[in-house]
Amino acid sequence: MELKILLESVIALLELFLFPGFLFLIFFSFFIEWLDRKMVAKFQNRYGPLHVGPKGILQPFADILKLLSKEDITPESANEIPFKLTPLLLFSFALTPLFCIPIISNSALITFPTDLVIVIFLMSCIPVLSFIAAWVSTNRFSTIGGTRLALQMFGYEIPLVLALVSPTITTQTFSISKIVEWQMGNLWLFLIQPIGFAIAIICLLAHLQRLPFDMPEAETELVGGWLVEFSGKKLALIKLTKSLELTLAASLITSLYLGGPSFLVISHPVIYFLKIIVCVFIFANLKALFARFRIDQFLVGAWKYLIPLAILQIAMTQILS
Amino acid sequence: MKTEIRIPFGPQHPDLEEPINFMFEVEEEYVKKVSVRLGYIHRGIEKLAEERSFLKNIYLVERICGICSFAHSTCYVQAVEELLEIEVPRRARFIRTIIAEMERIQNHYLWLAFTAKAMGFDTLFMYSMRDRDHILKILELITGKRVNYGLNTIGGVRRDLPEELQPEIFSKLIYLKKRAKKYKELCESDPLIQKRTKNIGILKPKDARKLSAVGPTIRASGIDDDVRSIEKYAAYDEISFNVITYKGCDVFSRILVRIDEIPESAKIIENALHNMPDTPTQVKTPKEIPKGETVSKVEAPRGENLHFLKSNGTEKPERLKIRAPTLANLTALCKMLEGANIADIPVIIAGIDPCIACAERMIFLK
Repeated sequence: MELKILLESVIALLELFLFPGFLFLIFFSFFIEWLDRKMVAKFQNRYGPLHVGPKGILQPFADILKLLSKEDITPESANEIPFKLTPLLLFSFALTPLFCIPIISNSALITFPTDLVIVIFLMSCIPVLSFIAAWVSTNRFSTIGGTRLALQMFGYEIPLVLALVSPTITTQTFSISKIVEWQMGNLWLFLIQPIGFAIAIICLLAHLQRLPFDMPEAETELVGGWLVEFSGKKLALIKLTKSLELTLAASLITSLYLGGPSFLVISHPVIYFLKIIVCVFIFANLKALFARFRIDQFLVGAWKYLIPLAILQIAMTQILS
Repeated sequence: MKTEIRIPFGPQHPDLEEPINFMFEVEEEYVKKVSVRLGYIHRGIEKLAEERSFLKNIYLVERICGICSFAHSTCYVQAVEELLEIEVPRRARFIRTIIAEMERIQNHYLWLAFTAKAMGFDTLFMYSMRDRDHILKILELITGKRVNYGLNTIGGVRRDLPEELQPEIFSKLIYLKKRAKKYKELCESDPLIQKRTKNIGILKPKDARKLSAVGPTIRASGIDDDVRSIEKYAAYDEISFNVITYKGCDVFSRILVRIDEIPESAKIIENALHNMPDTPTQVKTPKEIPKGETVSKVEAPRGENLHFLKSNGTEKPERLKIRAPTLANLTALCKMLEGANIADIPVIIAGIDPCIACAERMIFLK
């Protein structure tokens, strides 16, 4: 009996740390970032990462290693404890929601009846932490970048939550794993709620601060934006956070709208990988296509178009169900 | 409580290729006042020119700017030839026109790439640079170098344009005209580019005249000021072309003016190649230039380029003064920046095609 409990706890720890836990997720996010960079490069008629590893696949890993070996400077007027703490918090806030996404089967490592709410909460904390990081850096450019980030949140936060929550109305459950199970038995949700699917993609692009919504770190205007004062290990953690956020965004779209690792009757991680690749393709396509919005243009567009459409989606779901 | 922040832009900044310092006084994302500081890349070219012979100065003047280098050397060489009162052979003038127009095409593609980058449009940046490589290839075939061609000499040009290169030039020009048409369609139909550039950086025609703007900056305000049609230097008296103007007075019009100038330049090159006269390419000139002073003007890709040359009868010039087009556009730039949004600053600065290395000369302020 005791041996059985011991064996189960060892397996749980291995799952948590190796597959599909920490190590797997971190290396998987490297792979996703490489995929994204390669796709954007191909759209722009150039090669992308090429030398490090076969076809440049080790490039994101090499970037993180290089940053870990660089000098870590804290500016004199910066508030030390928050400055040193925010990158760590950002990293953990981006990694934790990934445990709630089903990867190998229809149920994730951590499932409980309301895990979608926790995932949305942790995701929404990330820009707030970035704003604190920007404020604490006491640099002119990071202050402007941080304020732009907070302004951006005003625009996309409401439609994002609405778009991520509208699947729950059809499936009558707040658990991501249960939503994936529901999609196994019925149609995939992006066919039933196409407007919500489109809005979720657009708002996740704004959440990730990618083109066309990367005003907070517009390098041509703000020299790096809110993360300009971070260097060395802290910057490595922030870069890792960005890759993990990309993986999280693609995973959310896959689980909530595209059916997760399920296809008809089978549930396999390879199907999940294929769907993630499709999501990254969509994100890379949108990054290569557009120029950058101005912050006031984005806010006007968000309140004029995104929020009414998101409300329309919820109304339609209610009427049809 | 004072809500004004003073933001320095430069001298080191990812958006600027060259060091210049703007000090913006910003209130709630709008610029209230601008002050400019030059001098970070002053190289003392005018002083150096007084210590070298007239022939050696060609190579010095070429290196004032990497991208409008042929315009500078043509301007200088024309000034010397005017002092000598010699007639440059027709073939040399045609070759000068061809290379000058190719340089214009190359500059406009580069400018399009950097403006796209300033707007955040990375894809257009990559495509423009890819297309620019085609014209650099032709220039390399003709002159042997991609920038700083070393083609001008006092009395003509050093190399001839062989007939064998003409088919390749024609085919590349057709490709470049096609690409320019595509980029114009893109700019006119893409709502995001129009949002970022329409009604941004307004320069009314009266202000443009008062603040002596030159080049595409003033042509986008509806004034058809083009040195090629006014002075008719090189072979422009024998080749006809259109001066492109737009009435928008904003950055969008400047984009359209420059994109439209590319097929126009291609037409001039094709015209010149078809009607190339059969004369020698240079005449012999004496080493000592007679006494006198002269002003020579040339339409560089960025605007009107002006050289003032004073000679006192010896082998070395007494005074060479260079007024580059960007220097003329800087005061107009300060006017455009007042009242602009911070996010529009890189776009407006990119709109006048800044080349600070050209503009760094001795300026006396009274």
